[in-house]
Amino acid sequence: MASHRVGEPAALSDSGAPHHHHIPYAVPHMLHHPTNSNFINQEGPAFDFGELEEAIILQGVKINNDDKKQHLYTAIRPAATLDMFPSWPMRFHQHTTRGSSKSGEESTDSGSAVNTLSNTPESPSDHRQPPPPPPQMDAAGGIDSPRMSGLQSQPPAKPAPEKTLRRLAQNREAARKSRLRKKAYVQQLESSRIRLAQLEQDLQRARSQGLFLGGGGAASGSISSGGAIFDMEYSRWLDDDHRHISELRTALQAHLSDSDLRVIVDGYIAHYDEVFSLKGAAAKSDVFHLITGMWTTPAERCFLWMGGFRPSDLIKMLIPQLDPLTEQQFMGICSLQHSSQQAEEALSQGLDQLQQSLVDTIANGSVNDSMRHMAVSLGKLANLEGFVRQADNLRQQTLHQLHRLLTIRQAARCFLVIGEYYGRLRALSSLWASRPRESMIAEDNSCQTTSDLQMVQASQNQFSNF
Amino acid sequence: MHYQTGSGSCKVPLKRSVATDPMERIERMAAAHAVVIFSDSTCCMCHTAKRLFCSLGVSPVIYEIDQDPRGEDLSKALLRLHGGAAPVPTVFIGGRLVGAIDSVMASHINGSLVPLLKEAGALWL
Repeated sequence: MASHRVGEPAALSDSGAPHHHHIPYAVPHMLHHPTNSNFINQEGPAFDFGELEEAIILQGVKINNDDKKQHLYTAIRPAATLDMFPSWPMRFHQHTTRGSSKSGEESTDSGSAVNTLSNTPESPSDHRQPPPPPPQMDAAGGIDSPRMSGLQSQPPAKPAPEKTLRRLAQNREAARKSRLRKKAYVQQLESSRIRLAQLEQDLQRARSQGLFLGGGGAASGSISSGGAIFDMEYSRWLDDDHRHISELRTALQAHLSDSDLRVIVDGYIAHYDEVFSLKGAAAKSDVFHLITGMWTTPAERCFLWMGGFRPSDLIKMLIPQLDPLTEQQFMGICSLQHSSQQAEEALSQGLDQLQQSLVDTIANGSVNDSMRHMAVSLGKLANLEGFVRQADNLRQQTLHQLHRLLTIRQAARCFLVIGEYYGRLRALSSLWASRPRESMIAEDNSCQTTSDLQMVQASQNQFSNF
Repeated sequence: MHYQTGSGSCKVPLKRSVATDPMERIERMAAAHAVVIFSDSTCCMCHTAKRLFCSLGVSPVIYEIDQDPRGEDLSKALLRLHGGAAPVPTVFIGGRLVGAIDSVMASHINGSLVPLLKEAGALWL
């Protein structure tokens, strides 16, 4: 079986540009490893060592300058389909075909594995399919790399030994299989991409039409669509947060002017305003998602208060980090902490009363009046949204007041501290989730954990710079 | 806390003016005391407002509009006044409108609530 693929620089580059250049060096190494299919697997579903090796071996063995054998050096066409990396030059050489009858078969255009698999049902029919050539070695495989052009001019030598021929045939087979795999993979990717685009479109449409209110069809798993939408937006917000924090850090280290810092700090405040607005929308569609904290990491969830952080705790954490403070600032921040505590207490008591009232309603509903009783319960449950909104309002006001109380440089440091604090809390959650469970593997993993801890400590040292 | 109810059995006598515009009623009720909260006995957020003022050491006067015969009108008027999400709780200090619970919280956080209370005579340091 001859390879139908004639010239595929694009396919070779599938695993990355470096492979283009590494091939001549890789080849001698590769020749010592007869497990070609494994090698192909490692390289990804693209690289066709089979033909390459074949070409090298044949070259080394000096093929007869047979008319039939000239197929080895037939025309290499550029990859016409699936040009996945259009920025990379597609090199091809036109080599003279010696007019062999077989060369007509080689002229099928190849871009990739797509069209060479004439026997496979999945190959698209818009490529010309050559008839499968006889399985014996007839040197009809095309050389797929222009680097072989150096070999083109050499005179062919005597026929290859039997064992080598067999191995070459196996290589071809393996190459063919790898092309099949690559084709399947690429098709899967394409369909996934289309599906993803459609899903995002649907989400956007549903959101704009307000269709994600509560139950119904769109729930996937245990997250309602409102919750899923918020999770998506929140993860984007987290990426933004990371960016803002880096910006704050570099701005402080670079000792920018106050006016420049002000822009960055205002940007960070606006960034937080945005998350509160996102949470407001989420509270309307799925307040339970917010209250149970399923949108946060486990460590954050541990400290959750009414669907978010507790402002007075945040200020308590901040006060030692914000040194030095003027007397007036210190009084102002302590007063802020106190006010926040009072407001939190009032909200908590209000929520307690709501819960008590709900419990009473649910427990004491009569069987005869269950519909009305459920309606009353539903009405009470709807008040939850108000509490989460007020809690978020409290958080937002607290951040704004901090901004007012501090100088611009202090405010920049303050928000950097806040961002890093929550970043660490999230990192802690990840570490916790991946901690070793069994003592048997503790030794191996403890080293990893230690290095993770060192990482956390390193960032803590950076923390103390401010 | 002093509760005003619509019926006759109340601790503080309620002025009855049958044909009064609800807005005027509100203004009159608000001006009568240093801190006035329009509330609903079943509303939990109103409970929050009450608890907050109590924790500050203030004794607000509470009007439960669900127990007022013309509570419906009052409710609409209150909503028009501050344009918030709910008619209650609505807080007046020194006869002036502070707003719904979010305004009260915001003013407490930015430090303006306590001076306002002192100015109205509801708090003595």
